[in-house]
Amino acid sequence: MVRWREVKLLYLRELRAALREKMIVTNSIVLPIVLYPFILWAMFTGVMFVQGQTEGFVSRVVIEGLPAAHAALGRQIERDDRFEVRKVSPTRAEAERQIREGDLDALVVFAPAPDDGRALPDNFAVTIVCDGAKERSTGARDRVKGMIAKHREAWLKRESARLGATPADWQAFTIQERNVASGRQMGSFLMSMMLPLFFVVMVAMGCFYPAVDATAGERERNTWETLMSLAASRGSIVAAKYLYVATMGCVAGLLNLVAMALSMKPMLSPLLARAGESFDFSVSPGAALVGVLAALLLAGFVAAGMMIFASFARTFKDGQSMITPFYLIVLMPILLVNGQGVKLTWPLAFLPVANISLMMREALTGSFPWPQMAVTVAVSILLILASLRLATAILRFEDVVIGSYGGSLQKLIRDRLLRRSPGGAEVRA
Amino acid sequence: MSQSTVVVSDLVKVFFDEARGEVRAVDGIGFECHPGEIFGLLGANGAGKTTTLRMLATILQPTSGRASLMGHEVGTEPEDVRRNLGFYSASTALYPRLSARETLEFFARINGYPEDRLAARVAAVVERFGIGEYVQARVEKLSQGMKQKVSIARTVVHDPPVLVFDEPTVGLDVLNAIEMQKVIGEFRDEGKTIIFSTHIMSEAEKLCDRIAIIHRGRIHACGTLASLREATGCHYLEDIFVHYVRRAEAA
Repeated sequence: MVRWREVKLLYLRELRAALREKMIVTNSIVLPIVLYPFILWAMFTGVMFVQGQTEGFVSRVVIEGLPAAHAALGRQIERDDRFEVRKVSPTRAEAERQIREGDLDALVVFAPAPDDGRALPDNFAVTIVCDGAKERSTGARDRVKGMIAKHREAWLKRESARLGATPADWQAFTIQERNVASGRQMGSFLMSMMLPLFFVVMVAMGCFYPAVDATAGERERNTWETLMSLAASRGSIVAAKYLYVATMGCVAGLLNLVAMALSMKPMLSPLLARAGESFDFSVSPGAALVGVLAALLLAGFVAAGMMIFASFARTFKDGQSMITPFYLIVLMPILLVNGQGVKLTWPLAFLPVANISLMMREALTGSFPWPQMAVTVAVSILLILASLRLATAILRFEDVVIGSYGGSLQKLIRDRLLRRSPGGAEVRA
Repeated sequence: MSQSTVVVSDLVKVFFDEARGEVRAVDGIGFECHPGEIFGLLGANGAGKTTTLRMLATILQPTSGRASLMGHEVGTEPEDVRRNLGFYSASTALYPRLSARETLEFFARINGYPEDRLAARVAAVVERFGIGEYVQARVEKLSQGMKQKVSIARTVVHDPPVLVFDEPTVGLDVLNAIEMQKVIGEFRDEGKTIIFSTHIMSEAEKLCDRIAIIHRGRIHACGTLASLREATGCHYLEDIFVHYVRRAEAA
């Protein structure tokens, strides 16, 4: 029997003690706030740093056979600080060896165009030799291509004018792109790809240490028997512990969502601005509500599952080993459905954890498929009830309560369900 | 003799052990205890003392037999039993991350002490056990002796009529062990029923009004020290204990 007065007292005791434990505070509160924003920051800072490093390189090139009519191109490259044009021309084989060894970045070989310039006098073909496995060499190639493209544009303009045409006359097909998504839609899309994944990881991590602390931790600290001798019903004890673990998971998930949503704009905007994109990372009230619901459902399920496994453990270490496989199992469905374009379809609405992750993703992009969301909520609630029932059933076995199974679910099944040992009393109340 | 507060009859507990098969840890034990009495369970390690006391505290369910505490059956009214009981053992530690005051308030509340008298009760217990100086400190920061005082205080803070002390002096130094014995004697003088398990003969001899000698899950003798002396012809409790154990082994 569950008495809510007892549950409240036990729950507050668990929570008060947990908030004084460094490991729990770190994993359930500090990490959700700082870890993934920090990872994001580190990742994008790293990308920008590497880009900066690459841009800082001077490309060492050798130019061969530049037609006299295009001498201006050679002068432009020489004047550009990003290039070091080597005057001594090695043989082709020697140049390739130097590129492979990293002593030279690119060899630029000009030759007459295959049509022999009948249509356009002074037309040329160019071969850029580089090492595709070396970033500095491919960077040099791209820079040379850029310079040639720029020179081509100016040359076409000049030649067109001479022939009485415009540059557009030479280009029969033009391609233009236009993104109809607003900045907000682009921001929602990016968030929907990242937040649900981090969210599930964080809810699971938020439940992890409290679940071990509430079960194996009690045994290790010798407070389990103290707890069992309290005038509270077993039902109240299980309910209080479950609520405590679920609260920590839910808090971890929500804190992570808020921290990520708030940190995405300042962290990603500089990078995206360089790519000419504008993103708005605001979250709609509807998506925020779905986020809270998702946190409750996911934490409810993960807490019950972790408590089932941790209830067999006698030490903190045992508990961690027992829970880790479940933690990985929880993460598996979201890895399967995290790809771009996966929607909350009817079949996926029945897949635990993945359905919650997809429901969040849909909401973040402004899509609310209510029937599938209702199925997701129903499936999750059923799963929570089943897990809680199993947890309560397991904790009714006094062998589990007094820690006789020492971390072995297999031993419990063998002794109690298959063999029905005589120590089979159930702990009442 | 006053009315029995604890009644145990034919109590049996069978465990299943992979190596040994069925183990009858407690094999038909029976005794009664009264207010203002210290009832000692004296036995070697593994004799069945802790299992008996755990069944009385409703932590374990008896395989068969009956036990009641203040008229409440352990099998059917476990919460009423626990409300009337203060259980102290080496394996009932305190919550390290709560302060001494938080610990006492929590145990009083969860064990059903009336809320309107709770503050006064906690203050009285703090005063009695001299824990005022460190009442705000977290348990994890306290010395062994301080923890012991807080632990006894939390056992009695809800003012239960029956107290169970399972090997309470194990791991304590001599001074703390003597302090513990003194406190248990005071509880008896206040009219509480005390069940005290030990394997230390001198402790049982010094404290217990009646002693039950338990061996291999059975009580082989039960009575006052004087009656046990008379029955065996031995003076020292150690000799009395050996007398009964040898007789049980021979049987």
